[in-house]
Amino acid sequence: MSIINYASREIQFKIVYYGPALCGKTTNLNYIHQRINPLNRGDLVSLATATERTLFFDFLPLNALVIKGFVTKFQLYTVPGQVIYNATRQLVLRSVDGIVFVADSQWEKMEENVESLKNLSDNLALQNMVIEEIPCVLEYNKRDLPNVAPVNYMEYVLNNRKKRLQSFEVISSSGQNVFAALNAVSQILLHKFSKHSETPQGAPLPIAIPVEPAPPEARQLPA
Amino acid sequence: MNAIPVLTIEDVATLDGVLGDFLKKTEADLTVVIDRGGNVISQCGDMDVIDVTVIAALAAGSFAATRELARRIGEVEFNALYHQGNGSHMFMNSVDDETIMITVFGSRSTVGLVRFYSTTTAQNVAEVLKLLRRTAHGLSFDPKDISAEPVFVDHP
Repeated sequence: MSIINYASREIQFKIVYYGPALCGKTTNLNYIHQRINPLNRGDLVSLATATERTLFFDFLPLNALVIKGFVTKFQLYTVPGQVIYNATRQLVLRSVDGIVFVADSQWEKMEENVESLKNLSDNLALQNMVIEEIPCVLEYNKRDLPNVAPVNYMEYVLNNRKKRLQSFEVISSSGQNVFAALNAVSQILLHKFSKHSETPQGAPLPIAIPVEPAPPEARQLPA
Repeated sequence: MNAIPVLTIEDVATLDGVLGDFLKKTEADLTVVIDRGGNVISQCGDMDVIDVTVIAALAAGSFAATRELARRIGEVEFNALYHQGNGSHMFMNSVDDETIMITVFGSRSTVGLVRFYSTTTAQNVAEVLKLLRRTAHGLSFDPKDISAEPVFVDHP
């Protein structure tokens, strides 16, 4: 849960990047770390195995001046995606304020995406939270690969709910829409605590850059 | 309407008093109170020594991870953890179900001294936080105070 320190005029928010194994969560944080103004970020801490698979979590602290009179500190975490590390995911989700769910767009990863989203819901339920009530956006990552599912299919599979989540076509390796997704979840989070809880009309929704589709001949249907 | 819990200037001053007294008695370098999600609640001492934000995130993870070890020997959790270095050491102890206290100390202090005073300090901090949760100050923002610019900018 976020907290305001009125003496130092600081607010802290925790944003967690969640998703199946090898979907690009750490790549998101690496890109943000490389591209954000160094004055506005701390060190990227990665607790990974020798093969660079996330073992515990990655952590990147960011500062921003977005609320008049306060320094806002965003703490970005990733969870380990591998199925066996569910206890670790529960720990990292503790006191979460916002979520970026990173889905792998490849056809063969769709089942893992669905399982991971369900796992997220189950783990949030342990904290008496539901995904619809927490600021959350979806990333459809790896849109540059040839065997990706169409966006409307991914929307049907992962975003089929009464109040749909904002979703982004992302290529985390080149950084396309990585900041758009981060800015979206940050704005939803900030407006959650505004005196009018709904995002007001005219509020600055981040602009997502459309991703060029792969050539038709490169697309493959699932077996 | 959602509101963020607030530590008022008075709350911070009270916590600073408790932690400052602890540092004086133990001659530790710094002490940080964090919630179990890794957020910093209060800090006192020489902040040039470490990046407090990173330490808070790692310490919360470390403390939580050892719960499983504790369960294997029939405990709910370990109340305290000690990491011994060559020159600098770290002591972490549970304040309450939601909060942990971290102390970094060097050769001027000893683990026994830190452990001894941390018990009373943790109780005092817990009392302050209990009162704070009961009074439950909350703040929500005027939408006009939230910047219309993107929060984070991609610098090519």
